[in-house]
Order: sequence, then C-alpha cells, then structure tokens
Amino acid sequence: MSLETFWKSPNELKFPVLSQEAKEKEFVDGVTEEFNPDELKGLSRRKFLALTAATLAVSTAACTDYHDKGEIIPYNKKPENIIPGIPNYYASTCTGCSNHCGILIKTREGRPIKIDGNPDDPINKGKICAIGQASILNLYDPERYKKPMKRNGNKFNEIKWQEAFNELISKVKLANNNGSEIAIIVGNIKSPSQKRLLELFTQKYATTKIYSYDLMADYPRQLAWQACYGSSEPATINFENAKIILALESNFLGNEGNFVKNIAGFTKKRNVDNPDSFSRLYAVEGAMSLSGVNADIRIPLNPTKHLDLVLSIIAEVLKSRGITNGLVYEKVQNYSLAEFAKQNNLDIKQLKSLVKDLVQNQGSAIAIAGDKMPFELHIAVNILNGLIGANSNNSENNLLTENNSNQIPLSTKDYLLELKQKMQSGKIAVLINFDTNPAYDLSTLDFDNLMQKIPYSVTLTETETETALSSNYILPINHNYESWGDYQVSNDIITTQQPVIESLYGTYQKEDILLGLINDKLSKTAYRDFIKDTWVSQIYPQSNSGVEFEVFWKSVLHDGVYKLNTSKTPLRPIDYNAINLIKSSVSKSNYILSLKNSYSTANGRFQNNGWLLELPHPTSKITWDNYAVVSERTAQKLGVDSNKMIEINANGKKLEIPVFVQPGTVDDYFTIELGFGRRAAGTVGKEVGFDALQLTTIDQLFNGYLMSVEISSMPNKEYKLASTVEHHSLNDNFTKDLAKKRHIIQDGTLSEYVQGNYNPERSHLTDSIIPEIEYKGVKWAMAIDMNKCVGCNACVVACNVENNIPIIGKDQVARGREMHWIRIDTYYTGDQDNPEVANQPMLCQHCDKAPCENVCPVVATTHSPDGINQMVYNRCVGTRYCSNNCPYKVRRFNFYDYRDNFNNHFQKADSLALMMNPEVTVRSRGVMEKCTFCIQRVSEARASAIAQGREVRGTDVKTACQEACPASAITFGSSNEPESELYYWRNHKLGYHVLEELNVKPNVTYIAKLRNKAEVK
Amino acid sequence: MLKSRLDYNLKIRLPITAFVIVVTYIITFFVAKPERDNVGYQPDQPIPFSHKLHAGEMQIDCQYCHTGVEKGRHASVPPVSTCMNCHSVARKDKPAIVNLTKYFNTNTPLPWKRIHKVPDYAYFNHSVHVNKGISCQSCHGNVENMDKVSQVQKFTMGACLDCHRNAHEKLPELKGVINKGPDYCGACHR
Repeated sequence: MSLETFWKSPNELKFPVLSQEAKEKEFVDGVTEEFNPDELKGLSRRKFLALTAATLAVSTAACTDYHDKGEIIPYNKKPENIIPGIPNYYASTCTGCSNHCGILIKTREGRPIKIDGNPDDPINKGKICAIGQASILNLYDPERYKKPMKRNGNKFNEIKWQEAFNELISKVKLANNNGSEIAIIVGNIKSPSQKRLLELFTQKYATTKIYSYDLMADYPRQLAWQACYGSSEPATINFENAKIILALESNFLGNEGNFVKNIAGFTKKRNVDNPDSFSRLYAVEGAMSLSGVNADIRIPLNPTKHLDLVLSIIAEVLKSRGITNGLVYEKVQNYSLAEFAKQNNLDIKQLKSLVKDLVQNQGSAIAIAGDKMPFELHIAVNILNGLIGANSNNSENNLLTENNSNQIPLSTKDYLLELKQKMQSGKIAVLINFDTNPAYDLSTLDFDNLMQKIPYSVTLTETETETALSSNYILPINHNYESWGDYQVSNDIITTQQPVIESLYGTYQKEDILLGLINDKLSKTAYRDFIKDTWVSQIYPQSNSGVEFEVFWKSVLHDGVYKLNTSKTPLRPIDYNAINLIKSSVSKSNYILSLKNSYSTANGRFQNNGWLLELPHPTSKITWDNYAVVSERTAQKLGVDSNKMIEINANGKKLEIPVFVQPGTVDDYFTIELGFGRRAAGTVGKEVGFDALQLTTIDQLFNGYLMSVEISSMPNKEYKLASTVEHHSLNDNFTKDLAKKRHIIQDGTLSEYVQGNYNPERSHLTDSIIPEIEYKGVKWAMAIDMNKCVGCNACVVACNVENNIPIIGKDQVARGREMHWIRIDTYYTGDQDNPEVANQPMLCQHCDKAPCENVCPVVATTHSPDGINQMVYNRCVGTRYCSNNCPYKVRRFNFYDYRDNFNNHFQKADSLALMMNPEVTVRSRGVMEKCTFCIQRVSEARASAIAQGREVRGTDVKTACQEACPASAITFGSSNEPESELYYWRNHKLGYHVLEELNVKPNVTYIAKLRNKAEVK
Repeated sequence: MLKSRLDYNLKIRLPITAFVIVVTYIITFFVAKPERDNVGYQPDQPIPFSHKLHAGEMQIDCQYCHTGVEKGRHASVPPVSTCMNCHSVARKDKPAIVNLTKYFNTNTPLPWKRIHKVPDYAYFNHSVHVNKGISCQSCHGNVENMDKVSQVQKFTMGACLDCHRNAHEKLPELKGVINKGPDYCGACHR
C-alpha cells in the first residue's frame, strides 16, 4: 500500500485537488474578515473592556480629596471624668436573675463595653456568671423596642409616650373607681424600693393585686424549708465550709441558686497545697451535670430513687449512732442501705464510706438536692442535714446562714390559680406585666389565651416576648445598665444599681412608669429620687453615718454595696416532725423525665442573645439547642440515636425533641433543659430549641419537674444538633481514653499525692533544631488549675466580650467554624455508664517554639520578646497553614465577615458597633485569629508602667478569662519573676504542659487534677 | 489597509504608550511620595485656629488643651469649653470667635479636620511616647510656628520603625534616657 492511499476523509479520497487547497488555507473564508468594533451590535467583549478602562480612568481622576482623613469631633462640653481612651468603671447590680450580683461596668467614652463582678461585693466577690457577662449584648440588641406600641388588630402601631401613658393612667383610674382588679405580675422582688413602690401603688389604687413568680426559683426547697424551719426562704449554703458534699441531682455548680458564690466556695476547698481541708463531693445523679463532672465520687442513680437513698442513709446514720427510737427512726426503720444498694446495683462499700464521711464530719458535711427535685426529697435532705449537724450554729464556719432577703414572697400555687380564674371570668380590668413573660413562663396556665380576655393589658419589656405580643400595649423599658435600683441580696447586704448610659432609645425604666401612675406624671428621674427617699427614711437613719445623706448616698453608689447594721440571726432549730410529710410513692412508669434549668439562657429571657446560645453546653458541647439527654442503652432500646427525634408524652401533652446520647446517664431517664423554644424572642432567639414547659402542669412548678412519661421514637426523623466537638464513642478502642494515653488530661488521687506517689508525666526534651531564645524581662505565661476549673463557661463569654468575638450561627457551628478563643474541653474516660470526666480550658498556648509561626508564608504570626505569639490581622492572607500546624487547634478562621447579616444570627447594626472593645481590632473575612493573652491589657499595663516610670511587672496584667473565673483557676503573669504566683504554679509538682512531647514549649501550665477518692475497704 | 493599521498600532503605538505610562508612573511615584504620605496636608479648619499664636507667641503649653496626651492613647482635641475658658472674655468680637461661641452655645459639635492619622489596625499610644520624654514636635513638627497646621512627618510603619530602631540617632537629646522602641508586631498591632 502506498502512502497516497491514506486519507483523512472521504472527500480527500474523492477530490484530492480541492482538499489540497483547503489544507493550505489556515482559516476558512470569512473567519479573518476585518471588522470595526463600533459596528458590532450590543455590548461586545471589546466594548466592555473599553468602557471599564474608561470608567476606571474617570473615577480615578474625578476622585475626591484622597488626603481627607475625616473629622475629629470633640465634646462640646466634656464631662468631667471622661478622658478619651481611658475607661471608667461604675459599680452597679446585675438584674439577670434574682441573685443580683454586684457588678463593675467598664465604660469607654460613655458606653458600657464590659461587665465584671464588683470585687467589693462580699457575696460574689468580683465574679459573675456567663449570663451576666453576656448581658451587655442585650443592651445593644438592635431589636429592642424603641417606641410604645398599641395593638391594632394583629399588628402594633407606634404611638407617642405621652399618649400611651395617658391611656394607661385613665384605664388604671377607671378600673380603680369601678372596683375592678388591676393585676401586676412581677418577678422575684428583692429590692426594698421596688417593694415600697408596689406598696404605694397598692395604696393609691386599692384594687391592685400583685402576683409574683419566678421560673428559676427553687419552689420545692422553699416549701420544704418552710415545713422544717418555719421560714419560707432556704438558708444560704456556704460551700467554703463544707468538707463533705452530697449532691442529689443538684447542679449547685452549674445553674442552681447563686452558683457563682457556690463555685467560689467549693473551689476554695480544692486547693492542692492544702490537702487536709480538700473537700469531697459525692454526686448522686441521673444525668451528667457540672456537679457530676466535678465529683470525686459519682453515683449514677435514677432520681426517683433518691428519696429512698436519703432515707436509707438516714437509717444508716441512726444505726451508726445506736439510735433506736424517736420520730425519725420510726419513719426510716424499714430502710436499709445494704438492701437499697443491692436493689439498685450500687456499690455498698461506696455508700458506706459516704455515710461514714457524713457522720465523721459532723458540722462540715452537707447534703443538697436539686432545685427542681420533689418537695419530699428536700424534706429528707433537711432531716439528714439536721442529723449530721449541717445546721449547727456553733462555729464561725457555719454551713448554713439564715436568709431573709425576699421583699415580696412569691405567690403560692393557689394564688396563681386564682389569677387564672379571675382572668377567665373577666374580673381583671388592667393587667400590667412588670418585665415578666408569663405567656411563656406560665404557659401551663394557658396565659396566652387568658390575656385575650383582659380588656386592657400592658407589657413593660425591653424586647419582643410572647406576653408582649398578646397584650394591647407594649411599653419599652430601660435595660439594666440604663436603670436605677437597689437589691437586698442577703440579710445584711444591699447592692445598688446606677445607670451608666443614657437610655439608648429614650425609654423609661419600668419603675418610672409605675411611679408615673402614682404621681400622675411620667418622669425619667422619678425612681432615682424615690430610691433616695427609701434610703433617707429606711437605711440612712440606721447607718449611724456621721456624714450628711448626699455624701453617704454618693459613697454607697460608688461602692455599689452596702452592709446593713444588722446582727446575725441564728438559724432556727429544725422541726423533725416534717418527716411525716414524706409519703413514699413508688413510680411505676417505664420512663422518667426531669426538666432542668438552662446553663445559658436562664428562664429563656436571654434567648435573643447569640453569645449565650452559641456557648457550648458544659457537658455535651451542643450549641443553639436543647435536647433530651438519654443513655446509650435507652437510645438503643428506643431505636434512636443522637440527632434523631422522639416524642415525649407527659400530662397528656406532647413534645417532639431530638435526642442526645450522653455518657453517664442512667437508663430510662430523660432530662431536658428549660428556657428554650421561645415562640417570640426576636430574630436570633425565636424558635431556637424546644419548649419543654409545654409538658408541665402548674403543680410541677411548685413540686419539681420530675415526671413519668411515655416515649415514642421517631427514628426516621432527623434533627441536626450543632456541637463544637467530635464525639468519639467511649467504646471505640482506638479513641478510648486517648486523652489520658496522650497525657492531655492528667489526674491522680489526693491520697496518692499526699503520700508522694503521684507526679504527672513530664517529658523533658532538650534537643531542638530551633535555637533557644533567651527571654529577658517579663515573659507572659499562664497556669490553669484543673482542680478548680468546674467548666462554668464564664471565661468563654468574658473572652468573647473583651475580644469582639463574633456570633456565627448554628449552621456555621455545625461546620466546625466556631470562633471562641478559649474553649472548655471535656474529656470522658472509662465506662460509658459512669465515666470519669475532666474539664480543660484550652486556649493558645503561646509556645516558645510555636509550630504555627514557622509555616506562615507571609510572616503574619510571629513571637514577641515577651513571649506572646502575635497575630497580625492586616498581614494575614488566610492560607490557614498555621491552623493546620497547630497541635492544640486553637486558631480560628473568619470564613465570612460574621458581623454581616449572617443568617440573622448576628445583625449588623449601628448599636452593636457601640459594644465593641475599641482596643481590639474587629476582624474581617479571610483572616486567622486566636487568643492574644489579652495583648491590649498587656499594652495598657506597659503604658501605665511607663507613666509611673517603672518596668512592667507580671502582676500588672489580668486577662479577661482570669478576671472572670469564679473559681480563680487561672493565674497569669511573668515566668521570669520567681516571687510571683504564676512562677509558683508553673513550677509546681503537679504542673504539666499538654502535648509536651512535641517540644513546642507551651506557656500554659496545667495543674493535674486530684480526685479525693474515698478509701474503700 | 486595516491590517497594516493594526500592525502599526501593535508595533509602534503600544510600546510607546506603555513606555510613557511606566516612565510617568515611576516619576510620579517618587516625586509624589511625600504627597501620598500626606506630608504637607494642610486642610482648612472650621475655625481658623492658629497654633502659632496660641502655642508660639502666647506660649500656652500643648497640654493645656491636649489633656489626654500623657494619660492615654489619644492626645485628644480639646472640647469647645476649653476654648471658652478664655474666649468667653477674650476677643469676643472677632468673627471666628463669634462663630466659636455659636458652636458652644448651641451645643453643636465642632468638626475639626483630621490631619494626623495612623491606620485603624495600628494602636498608637501618645502617653508612652510623651511619658518617655519624646517631644510633640518629634512627630508633629514645630506646630508652634504653624498658623495652619500641616503634616510634617510621614505616618507610615517605616517611619515609626525608623525611629524605634534608631532612637538614639533620631532623638539625640534623649540618648541615655530612652532605649530603642519596641519593634515587634504586637507592640502596635493587636
């Protein structure tokens, strides 16, 4: 075959000449035809490029003065104490819950930017909880009501203040004249001035009735206390004097009672340098709480059995004392601890040692039951406490202190039912919701519909609530930081509240509105003068103060706390007859449900606060939701798993809710947190989570939320919970106990430590390819005592507020993009049924040989001569190599500009810009960020040291997390100062670094956790 | 014909244009550098306040007005009330003072044009510099001789570091009093 016989196409074979011509011509006819761009139709590519270039040229030339740097607008008349750039601090009171902690508000140029505890407050001692820290966001919440509103059909119209007030006062007067009732619904009133105000109001309008309730209150404990001690207010427990603590489904470290005070007291007894007074916490509980996390001995037990357990313990205590007669003995004689242990598969030795501890530590041992546990359990606990001398008045170190701080007692169940009845029959003419949200809180009374029967209902509120939307009028009120107030927080302490900013939207404080009704005139200063009157008439005369009132008043406001001259009232004696109120009832139901307080949203009031919703739950690390906690076995039995829905049936009501499998939960037991599922709470908080209050009855508000339920599983219905950690199964051999194997968590027992047998694993590598750098002067470092950290999350929020950390929303959290600079890692080890838990706050370790620094291609992260791993945002290009190379995974990347209107979780609003800390850069999209050791505070300390003409010292700086920690677990300072506290902890026998074997030389020292295990014989 | 025009454009005109642009850019870059660094920026102020008169001739101390300078980050522009300390009595009839008094009495903010500015991501602190004995003139020039204030020094990172690294050469009068300034990132960027 010759070469010519190869052809490419049939044409080539048939017409070789034509084909040859076509081959020589590269372009087909018409393709290379010249053309004029101007003749092209429409916007061609060339035209487009020409236009773009022209636009660019014109805009550059026509640009306005590029030198212009804006304006500096000084004060016209500068307020005396304000120096731009220097913060001012004002003492006030937090009104987030009825604990009323003293706070110190940091303001810059007249706007509050950070809240901390007031160090002068003898109760919370300079610390506040996560909610208090985050409440600053509520002040600047762009969704606050700004104008009074009047209902018009299903809508609300804005009206003028005067108009709203005139209508209100005419309606109130009319009701009073007609003799129909004016109902005011208030929360837990602890303020002497509020009490006087309500009294005055009742005097002026005689048909007024005050209703008071508190969803967070410990009603069952109050009732039990009344039965045992004859006073409606339970005594305050001083955990700093408790050596043995028995917590029965009680979350006293997490969200019950004054937990800030409890944490401080509890951790005072967890000092590794004072092993003799180290406390021992027994936690008996059905689901993992912070008490269980921090317990030395955790005994999982279904809460329905707790009453029997306590009665058996009482029997054992009596037996150990040889008491065989008397009222208590008769009641408990049929109970036996050994029998109880056998029935419930508990370790009898453990229970015996518990009883031994309780008996041997007479006067320093105490039992406490959960706020929402039944009345009878509280009675039994009171009796037990009486027997073990927890109520003794003898010593200086009383465990219980008498408390009579309530100004207006909370309404009884009957009183609330009477309210319902009166609302139903239309006997109430005017209903005033005094910053309360009964439509949500008391939804068991069907309050929503009842409100429709009220001819004139008005809600005083800051933001949208269910109650506001069902009332006729909404009157917006001042936030905490815009208001005056005084609060009695204990028998002898009153804290004062003063505004630190003019009300942002010209609103009135709620007391001003009531005062306006009394005085026939609305005034913004009325309540301030009213409080002063209260103090002139009630407190100043008793003060024996040598100065005139104005001076006295100013000094009280300055301090924020005032100590009354009252003598200490001893605790009343206990009435053991109360034990007869216990009627043993055995629950026959398969499943038990218990409702708990929420860790982050209180009673749902803080639902529109993204910082709080995004706070990882202390035990599950879930954000933006609540869920039903179950054990793995129960989940398997129901055929569900985490992120699957179940339907709960209780009291004839239904709730669909996702399930979360939590290690340490007892079988057939469910817990759900309250304060979620608000139907109206603003863009952020609306319909976040599930409203478990739907399942309850009004009885349960007063007798605890422990109920029998029916469960039906919905294994096909998925609901994604957003968690900030990957949950490894405790049964997986690869990941099981990894934290311990790699010495991330190191713990031992107290007795081993005392005998000198316990030292944390250290690896002292010396060889490194990176040369050693010598640090002269201060070198910043941190020590975290894991014996003290209870995992309360206060540090996380404090860091968020201090460092302008954005809220990113559930969707982004689910993608693992959470922005928190400090996180509390919770490690579970051991057995799925009763795991051992340890908390570890994890933040940038500021390694001397930081692996992140070596890999940054643009040198955006470097090391400072004082040992801080610096992050320069304007240099960062967002390669994320640093995060990849960080062994601690503490670097955070801005995947978006999270301040933009992002899924409505963080509204971009002018008011929120006021909240930002001006000393910290607000990061934008595409940059990496991480803990800076509060470099702005370091710089501030340097500046003031220079002003004083000295070198900066390690003790000059307190980081935001350290300042906030109620347990004082965090120490910060210079590791080059041998006399400092930081140096002591850094070189402590129990100190270790996490992942030390990597030889990155971290600068955060962790103090190994000691568990005070009982010696079981 | 059109074909040859395209040829001409590509071979002759384009290189010439490109050359002219590059040369213009290079020349402008260097000639206009102080201009770009804002050196010489001298805006008109709403009140023609003369530092030469007040600080120079009458020798009023800088800190009589700029009170924050040794306390905090900002030197701070004085509130109008500071002007009124004297001008409620002195020179009340002058048009500028009449204008000033109007601002004061009507409580209207007085919008001074900003002359010196470091970028938002740099945290400059007046107090550390002043308290170390560095004079205002080192950065702001001889304001006491300026009728209308203008920017004298560059406010770039290079300019800051130049002084921080060569403190003794730049500020010979403070030799032995101050050390070098810090030159790590975290000193200014956070």
